[in-house]
Formats: sequence, C-alpha cells, structure tokens
Amino acid sequence: MACVKSPLYSFVKVRCHLTNDVTRLPYCCSPIGCAHPRVHLKTETESKVRAVRKAGASSEAGKMSRGSNPGFDRHITIFSPDGRLYQVEYAFKAITQSGLTTVGVRGEDCAVVVTQKKVPDKLLDASTMTNMFKLTARIGCVMTGHGADSRSQVHRARVEAGEWKYKFGYEINADVLCRRMADICQVYTQNAEMRPLGCCMMLVSMDPQEGPVLYKVDPAGYYCGFRGIAVGPKHVEANGYLEKKLKKKPQLSQDRTIQLCISCLSSVLSTDFKATDLEVGLVSKEHIKFRTLSESEIETHLVAIAERE
Amino acid sequence: MLEEQGPEWMSEEVKTGTTIIAVEFDGGVVLGSDSRVSAGASVVNRVMNKLSPLHDRIYCALSGSAADAQTIAETVNYQLDVHSMELGEDPLVCSAATLVKNISYQYKEELSAHLIVGGWDRRGGGQVYATLSGLLTRQPFALGGSGSSYVYGYLDAEYRAGAGRTDTQRLVVDTLSLAMSRDGSSGGVAYLVTIDGDGVEEKVFLGNELPTFYDQ
Repeated sequence: MACVKSPLYSFVKVRCHLTNDVTRLPYCCSPIGCAHPRVHLKTETESKVRAVRKAGASSEAGKMSRGSNPGFDRHITIFSPDGRLYQVEYAFKAITQSGLTTVGVRGEDCAVVVTQKKVPDKLLDASTMTNMFKLTARIGCVMTGHGADSRSQVHRARVEAGEWKYKFGYEINADVLCRRMADICQVYTQNAEMRPLGCCMMLVSMDPQEGPVLYKVDPAGYYCGFRGIAVGPKHVEANGYLEKKLKKKPQLSQDRTIQLCISCLSSVLSTDFKATDLEVGLVSKEHIKFRTLSESEIETHLVAIAERE
Repeated sequence: MLEEQGPEWMSEEVKTGTTIIAVEFDGGVVLGSDSRVSAGASVVNRVMNKLSPLHDRIYCALSGSAADAQTIAETVNYQLDVHSMELGEDPLVCSAATLVKNISYQYKEELSAHLIVGGWDRRGGGQVYATLSGLLTRQPFALGGSGSSYVYGYLDAEYRAGAGRTDTQRLVVDTLSLAMSRDGSSGGVAYLVTIDGDGVEEKVFLGNELPTFYDQ
C-alpha cells in the first residue's frame, strides 16, 4: 500500500506494546488515508538539528567526512554510518560515572553481589544510601551507574514482577524478569524520544529449578546468565581476576563466594576495605530470600580474608 | 423438550453464604470463617477457606459473591506486594483496608462482596477494619455474611476489651459454631487465623471438634 509523501504530520498518542509507556508517534496523514509511523521522527529530528547547528557543533559534523549524516547519530539513537549506536555506547560510559565497581559471583548453593559504598558528603546519612534492592522476595539486584536511572529501573522491575504474579498466579523467575527488563532497555535503544538508561542491573536469585542464578542486564538490552561478572570503572580488571579464579570451576561455599567477591574488589581497586565501604547482598540455600549483610557480618568476612593471607 | 436446562444450581450465582468474624485482642487479631460455598440451595464447596492472605501479617475474610470477593483479594494482594517492595517493609493494615475499600467503593454497583480486613503491623498492633459497601471503619470486632445476623447479640455480650489470645480464639470459635448451627448458608468446618507480632497461626476445627451448645 503506497503512501503519498505528505507534509502533514500529526502526533498520535500510542501505548508502546513492549514497554507499556504512552508515547507520541507522528503519523503520516495522507490523502489516501494510510497511517504508518514515520520512524525518522521528522519534527523532533528537525528541532535537534537546529539545536546542533546553533551550538556550533558543525565542527564535529565537519569531521564526519561521509557528509550525508551531519552527526546526529551521536545525539539520538540512530545508526551511524559505521553501524554503531553512539548513544548506547555513551550509556555504557555513564555507568562508570558513578565510580562504583560491582562484582557478582555464583557459588555452589548461593549467589553473591558486592558493591562499593562511597559516601561523598560528610553530611549524608549513609543508612539511607543503598544500591541493593529487593525486587521480589526471592530476587534481589544491585544497580551500578546513574542513581536516578537505577531507581527508575528498579521500580519498573518491581511493577513487572508484581504484574506477573497477579496475571499468572506464581512468582516470576529471575531469568524471565531479566529478559523483560532487557526487552525494555532495547526499546529505549530504538525509540529516539527516550534515551537509554545509564545503569546496569545485576540480579541474583535462588531459582526453584536451577538453584542459584546470577544475571546481568545492560543498557543495550543484552542479558545473560553468569558464573561471575563485574561492572563499573574497573570491570575489565575485575573480570580478568574472576576468570582466573573461576577457570577451574571450583565448588564455592557461601563464605568462599563472599570472600572471592570482596578480594576481587580489593585487588583491582588496590584498597583494604572497611566494613562500611562495602555492601553485600546474597541469596543462599539456607536463606532463600534476598538479604543484605550487616556491618558485623561483613567484618567477619574481612577478618577471614585477612587471616588467610 | 429439546432444550437441556441442566440442574438449577449450575445457573445460580455462587455465593459464599457465610459467617465471617474478626476480633482484635491485646497484641493481635483472630479471624474466623465457616467453609460453605453455596449456589442457590446446593453446596458447591464444603471446605473452602474464606480467610485469604493479603500480605504476610494481613488477612481478609471473604463474604458475598465468591468470585467478586476473591478478585478483590487478589487485586489488593498484588497492589500490596509492589507497595511493600517499594517501602522496604511490611505494609500497614490500614493501607490494606484502604485498598480494599477503594475497590469496593469504586465498583459498588458491579460488585457484591464484603471483605473484613484484619492484621498486625508494627505501628498499630492488631487491627480490624470493616469495609462494607465501601466504607472504612476500624472496630474492635467485625462480623459479616448471612450468618452474622444470628450472633450479633452473642458477640456484643461476650466481647471483652483487652482479652488474651486463647480467650479470643475460643470466643471466635463459639460464635462461628452458633452461627453455623442456625444459618442455612453457613456450615462445614471452622477456619481460624491468629495473627500477632510473632507470625501467623492457621487452625481448622472439623465438624466434630466444634463446641456444642444446649441442643447438641
């Protein structure tokens, strides 16, 4: 069905069937009455082009020698000539902005996530600051990256989990929840109106069939289960450390798993941690519900690590 | 004569005829219900548990149309799940009761169910809320269902403020037993749920375990 190109655009409120968000998509109103969404969002792109030109970013455009695309592939999520989505890559860089590295390891009968706790301001009440969140009773997560984006994603995950339980009558599994969050992240990489979230979610859970599981979702909408993974500014070094330690597929007890995570962090960050510098969240066979360790429990593990060395 | 009517009870609405009770005591609540579900004159389920959990320490007692009541309970359960995740702690009993009341009031014309909400929270201790027709009121005890009319007097006379746990459980079982013996739409077994700061205790009183009165 051919559509006559018409300059008439009207915005229609539609509910995105993937993310359930209400967005405005411009529909082409043509004389023959066909309506289809115009993916390149002419009016929005136009205003962005005007803003780019005004800001004098034409120097950047000049560098893009393949002249047809004057450089808003960096400003909204459309493909660049070399096939990259710059906004998504920038989202990954935003994760490292928070300056906190997170490590997660799946043990024999437990799954542990450890993150740094930095209190930047002396006036701040540290007890109100946390990156560990409970999504359902059995599923917990740690967020790394932009704080406000993290909270938004956590809230969304909680609502998705609650809706699942209401609709289907049983609690959602970690991998299904992870897939759902990944699908939502993917939509943000296609919708030009909404930017990707600058945060990474690491989920742990005691799956009723699989046992302990560890999953990660990133802003690109990619998700995967892991035996061990790290996120944050030092994730490359931390992943290397974990690869070495987990190469021989050791059977890790709960204590050994926690201590592996903590030693990974202290080795790549070259710091000796105090109990107040860390947050530890875990699920285990003895304690299926997601919980965070108290300061004294973290202290016990730090002491055990020190004694072993 | 070609039309297959089927038995009458298949086309009747399924109602939980019911007697439901919730009584507050010092440190918690006791909720009780009978177990008969009727469709017209036939008993469709004689062992249904009408005490439905809304959250760990908040239960509700269902009466009226079985489907309507169950749906309200499930919806509020879902809302409380997300709410308590966001709060990071157990929800208040008045939150649960308010959620039930909001649905009951908004869909007043379409629904015919009455839920009594009872539970324990850290702030208010044991609390009982009645939500009949979309009102919300906190009461020391609440009755509902068709069987309740037979035992208002008994409960009014026997209720003591500040009673203990076992006395309140006995009071609830006695009241249920009296209602079940007089109301045609209530019967079966008696379910009891006791909620306090330490947790939830569920008990069933089978037919022969129920207390008997002068005529039995």
